[in-house]
Amino acid sequence: MRADARSGGWYHRAVVYLLFLILLLPLAGTLLYSLATSWSASLLPSGLTFKWYIALWSEPRFLAVFGQSLLVCVGALLLSVVLILPLLFVVHYHFPRLDALMNILILLPFAVPPVVSSVGLLQLYGSGPMAMVGTPWILIGCYFTIALPFMYRAITNNLQAINLRDLMDAAQLLGANTWQAALLVVLPNLRKGLMVALLLSFSFLFGEFVFANLLVGTRYETLQVYLNNMRNSSGHFNSALVISYFAFVLVLTWVANRLNKDKT
Amino acid sequence: MTAPKSSSARGRYLALLCLLPFAVCFVIFQIAPLAWVAINSLQSEAGWGVANFSKVFASKFYLQALQRSLEISFWSSLFGIVIATLGAYSLRQVDSKLRDFVSAFANMTSNFAGVPLAFAFIILLGFNGALTLLLKQVGLLEDFSIYSKSGLILVYTYFQIPLGVLLLYPAFDALREDWRESAALLGASHWQFWRHIGLPVLAPALLGTFVILLANALGAYATVYALTTGNFNVLPIRIAGLVAGDISLDPNLASALAMVLVGLMTLVTVVHQWLLKRSYHAR
Amino acid sequence: MSFVSVQKLHKSYAGSPVFENIDCRIERGEFVTLLGPSGCGKSTLLRCIAGLTPVDSGQILLDDHDIVPLSPQKRGIGMVFQSYALFPNMTVEQNVAFGLRMQKVKTDESQARVREALALVELGNFAGRYPHQLSGGQCQRVALARSLVTRPRLLLLDEPLSALDARIRKHLREQIRAIQRELGLTTIFVTHDQEEALTLSDRIFLMNQGRIVQSGDAETLYTAPVDLFAAGFIGNYNLLDADSASRLLQRPVTSRLAIRPESITLGINGELDAEVRSHSLLGNVIRYRVQVREVELVVDVLNRSPADLHADGQRVSVSIDPTALREVA
Repeated sequence: MRADARSGGWYHRAVVYLLFLILLLPLAGTLLYSLATSWSASLLPSGLTFKWYIALWSEPRFLAVFGQSLLVCVGALLLSVVLILPLLFVVHYHFPRLDALMNILILLPFAVPPVVSSVGLLQLYGSGPMAMVGTPWILIGCYFTIALPFMYRAITNNLQAINLRDLMDAAQLLGANTWQAALLVVLPNLRKGLMVALLLSFSFLFGEFVFANLLVGTRYETLQVYLNNMRNSSGHFNSALVISYFAFVLVLTWVANRLNKDKT
Repeated sequence: MTAPKSSSARGRYLALLCLLPFAVCFVIFQIAPLAWVAINSLQSEAGWGVANFSKVFASKFYLQALQRSLEISFWSSLFGIVIATLGAYSLRQVDSKLRDFVSAFANMTSNFAGVPLAFAFIILLGFNGALTLLLKQVGLLEDFSIYSKSGLILVYTYFQIPLGVLLLYPAFDALREDWRESAALLGASHWQFWRHIGLPVLAPALLGTFVILLANALGAYATVYALTTGNFNVLPIRIAGLVAGDISLDPNLASALAMVLVGLMTLVTVVHQWLLKRSYHAR
Repeated sequence: MSFVSVQKLHKSYAGSPVFENIDCRIERGEFVTLLGPSGCGKSTLLRCIAGLTPVDSGQILLDDHDIVPLSPQKRGIGMVFQSYALFPNMTVEQNVAFGLRMQKVKTDESQARVREALALVELGNFAGRYPHQLSGGQCQRVALARSLVTRPRLLLLDEPLSALDARIRKHLREQIRAIQRELGLTTIFVTHDQEEALTLSDRIFLMNQGRIVQSGDAETLYTAPVDLFAAGFIGNYNLLDADSASRLLQRPVTSRLAIRPESITLGINGELDAEVRSHSLLGNVIRYRVQVREVELVVDVLNRSPADLHADGQRVSVSIDPTALREVA
C-alpha cells in the first residue's frame, strides 16, 4: 500500500474522522448526560456533577446485579473452555473430517436468533424434570452456545497456526503420551489465542439481553435486564449505568487488544 | 496432511467420549429448542398441519410485522454497508496510528448495541433530545420520531456500521495495488477504475457482508424492545410477545412465526455461502 | 535530443534518499536495462518515469516535454508488471481492449487491434479465457499485449520475468526482444539478473544504492567494469586485493585486480603451477577452483572433451592473459 501523501490523503483522513464522530456521538451524548445535573429540553446540560455515579455505585441492587452478570458470564466461559478445548483437540487430531461438520454446526447460533431459541427453551425447560427457566443455569447453557462460534474459530485458527499434528508427533517421539503432549505442549501454545477469545466472548456475553430477559428476567437480574427495568427512573442514573458498563467492557477489549499485539 | 495417528480402537472410543459432554450441552441448549420450535410450528388446536402458518399469512397484523422487519433490515443494511465500505476503504489508506485507534474504537462500539444504544438514542434524538432540539432550531427537522420506522432504521444503521467495517476491512486485501496502477497507465480515471475493476472484484465480498447485515438486523430484539418498550410491530417482538408477554400466550403460533424468521435467515445464510464460493472465481 | 531524458531526479522516502541527482539519457528505439541488486532504486526510478511514484524534484523529458506534472493516465507510457496485474474479472480480450476502451476507440477498430496484439504474442486462441485459467507465462504475454495495443511511446517492464520458471523465462525474453525490434519501441527493462541484461539490451545502466555506477553496452560492462561493485556484480570476476595480486604476478601491484575466469587457460603446458581444489559442472562450462601461489582463482573451461576434466587435487598449470587483467577501484 503506497503510504505516500497524495492529494487524496486529506479525503481519507476526513472520512475516517467522520466515521469516528458518527460512532462517538451516542456515546458522547450518554457520557454528558451522566455527568449533567439536569438536561431536559435544552441544547446543553445545566451543570456537571458526579453524583449519579456515586448513587450508582452505592446502590446495592446494582452491585448485586453486576456481580450476577459477572458470575453468569464467567460460568458460561468456564463451561465453554471445559467443553470446547477437548472437542477441538479431538476433532483436529483424531477426526479432521469432522471440522467441516463443526463449521456448519457453529453457524447455527448465527442462523437461529436468540428469540427463536427462547420459544423452545421456555417450553422445554419451563417446567418438568429439566426446569431451568428462571435460574442462572439456563443462562449459562445458552451463553455457552453464543460463545461457541467465537471460541471455536479463534482456537481453530490458533491450532492451525501452531501445526497441531507436528507438535503432537514430535512430543510423542520424545516419549510423551497423548495426555501429556496435549497438556504440556499444545495447551501452553494456545494460551494467548484462548485469552483473546475469552475476553472478546466475555464482552459480547456481558451485553446480552434477549436470553436474560426472556428466560430469566428479574428472577436473576443481569446488568442489561436491570438497565431496562430502570428505564422509568432517572435518565441520568441510567446514563451513569451505561457508561460504567461501557467502561468495564472497554478495559476488557483493551486488554484483549494488547494481548493480541503481543502475539505478533 | 499425514493420516491420523490414532492407534487402537480404544483410543478412538476415548476420544469420542470426550466429545460427549459437548454434544450433550449443544443438543440441550441449541438443537432441542430449535427442534421443538420446528415441530410445534405444525401443531395447533386442530392437530398437525399448517394452520399456524395460514393464520400468520392471513393476518394483516403479522404480515405488517414481516414487512416492517424486512424494510428496516433492508434499509439499515444498505445504509450501513455504504457507510462501512467508504469507511473501511479510507481506513486502509490512513497512517497506522489513526487506523489502529479508529479500528479499535469501532470494535468497542459494537458492544454498545442493544439496550444501552436505545437509551443513548433516546437521549440524543428522543422527543426532548439534544440533537432533536438542535436540528429543529436549525430547521432541518420537522416531525421526527425515533420511535417510528425511520427512527428505527437510523438506530439499526448505527449498529450495522461497526460490523460492516469489521467484515469489509479484510475484503479490500483482494484489491491489488498493481491493478490500480495498471489501469491508470492504460488511461483509466479513479472512477473508471472503480467502475470496471474495483467494484466488480469486490462485489462478492460486498454482497456477502450485506447479507450478514441483513441477518443481523432481522434477528435483532434488544434494541427495538428497549427503544419502544416492546410495542413496535416487528417479527422478533411478535414472537417474544406470544411466549412471554402479558396477553394471550400461544407458543405454537410463536413457533410458526419463528420458523418464518428462521426460514428468512437460513435463506440469507445460504446465499452468503454461495457468494463466498463465487468469490474464488475472482482470485 | 534524446528521446527520454532524466535530469537531476531526486527521490526520498521517509526521510532517507532513494536516489539523488540521477541523470540518464535514452535514444529513440533503444532497449535499455536498469540493472542492479535489490534496493538499488531501479524499480523506483521506473515507477517515477511511469508517474506511479511522485518525484521530489527534477525533470523527466519524454520527446522534449517534461512529464513530471502529468498523471500516469496522460503520459502515453505502457508498463508490464512483475505480478502481471491482469484484471481478474475480465477475459483476455477485455483485458487487452481496456486501454483502447479508455481512449474511446470505436469497437471495430478496437477488436481488430486486439486481435493483432494477441497474434503478436501468439495467444490468438485465448481471447475468451480468464486470467485464472492461464499459466504465468501466458499471463505475462497478455500483459504485454495489453500494454502494446495502445501504441505507447515508451514501454516499461518491471522485472517481468522474475516470477516465471527458467524455461519460460528464456523463451519469453527472446519474444519480448523480437517484438521490441519489430515495433522499434523505446523500452526500459528492469532486472536484477545480469544474464537477462546482457542478452537483451542495447545499453545497460548498472545501479547501486541510488546511483548509476556505469552505463554502456553489454560488451563494455562485461569486459571493463569501472569499480569493485561492477566487477562483482557482472560476471564471475576473480577479485584480488593488491597483496594477493602482487603474490600472484610476482611484481608489485598497487590496486585491486579483476580477472575474468575464462581468460585463464588451464592445461598442462601453462606458465604457472597450480592445484585443482574443487570443480563443478555447469553444463557446457566446468568451473574450477585452483590454487596458484597461495592465491585461489576461479577458472572457467569449456567442456569440449574428456581431456578438459581434471580431478580434485590434480596438479595442472595455468596461464593468465595479461590483457585480461583489469585494475578496479
